[in-house]
Amino acid sequence: MDELDETQLKNHVDSLKQQLQFNREKTSVTIPELTKWIEEKMNEDPFLNPDVLKDNPWVESSKCVII
Amino acid sequence: MSELEQLRQEAEQLRNQIRDARKACNDSSLSQITAGLDSVGRIQMRTRRTLRGHLAKIYAMQWATDSRLLVSASQDGKLIIWDSYSTNKIHAIPLRSSWVMTCAYAPSGSYAACGGLDNICSIYSLKTREGNVRVTRELSGHTGYLSCCRFLDDSQIVTSSGDTTCALWDIETGQQTTTFTGHTGDVMSLSLSPDSRTFVSGACDASSKLWDIRDGMCRQSFTGHVSDINAVIFFPNGNAFTTGSDDATCRLFDLRADQELMMYSHDNINCGITSVAFSKSGRLLLAGYDDFNCNVWDTLKGERAGVLAGHDNRVSCLGISSDGMALATGSWDSFLRIWN
Repeated sequence: MDELDETQLKNHVDSLKQQLQFNREKTSVTIPELTKWIEEKMNEDPFLNPDVLKDNPWVESSKCVII
Repeated sequence: MSELEQLRQEAEQLRNQIRDARKACNDSSLSQITAGLDSVGRIQMRTRRTLRGHLAKIYAMQWATDSRLLVSASQDGKLIIWDSYSTNKIHAIPLRSSWVMTCAYAPSGSYAACGGLDNICSIYSLKTREGNVRVTRELSGHTGYLSCCRFLDDSQIVTSSGDTTCALWDIETGQQTTTFTGHTGDVMSLSLSPDSRTFVSGACDASSKLWDIRDGMCRQSFTGHVSDINAVIFFPNGNAFTTGSDDATCRLFDLRADQELMMYSHDNINCGITSVAFSKSGRLLLAGYDDFNCNVWDTLKGERAGVLAGHDNRVSCLGISSDGMALATGSWDSFLRIWN
């Protein structure tokens, strides 16, 4: 903060005023929704569901591969 | 009291008000809510391909949207487009400046970009009528190194720079459409939101900021890290993002509640994080470290779920393909590895 000149400080203060206005939601609402989103997607996550990785393009399914 | 002193006091007051507003919304923690959740268990991945060809440290990589091709940049002065299935090099592009620090692949697959200590973002056309690759634009304007660049589409790219600013460029005209100012240290990394309306930046001032791409305003600003932030990545649904820092921690920030939710760290981990990525569901957070390893973290429980060892030098960059099927890591050992 000590290195900023007057113009930069004024801009910084204006930005802080805007950021203060942000409409924050409670974590008791946002966290369960985030967790729910993740849990619903875990089935499609190749790193968590081995069935999705069954058709792994980097693993040869047969002996010879035609490039 | 001088004008300067008044402004400083006003800034301090506002920061305190923001801190109090965040506290008021902090009525439950991620650890509390996920206490009863099953852990993801041990995550193990194997190297499926090693991409050999660079002759010096790799600094950056990005997957193409087809989840098969990828671009990497090395200080051997080359940009290489790889077919990760066959390990073939589709293009090996000689750069005008070898001091490259970042590269990007356009969503269409038609362009690649890179830049570094030359302060310029160079745009390469990969699909010219003649069949060769050439520079179509050199975006100059930054007064510091180019640390990161990301295509919005074939005509717009966002850059971050050591000059403490980020910029949105019109590639056709070569001009900056919007400049994003506010950081007080080198900006090291940026990540576009899934809906392309905002992006997050991480800087050496230990703060990360959310920017509105259209109007250039900083909507939210986050502190917490105690050293340079080297990497940022959006959470897949756009409601959160994670940062990786020289302070040896990654942190998850909730954009709706406007605060930090979790810190990913361990007493045995004392080196900086260079790169971060989320798995498709967001349940896993992958981070590349200076100690040559990648750690896999359980995003929700904050525990380490696995380690990917294999590189012989710092992991400088990593990325997960858009279909979530593979992780690519790039290292100062000059190799890229594909894991799943």
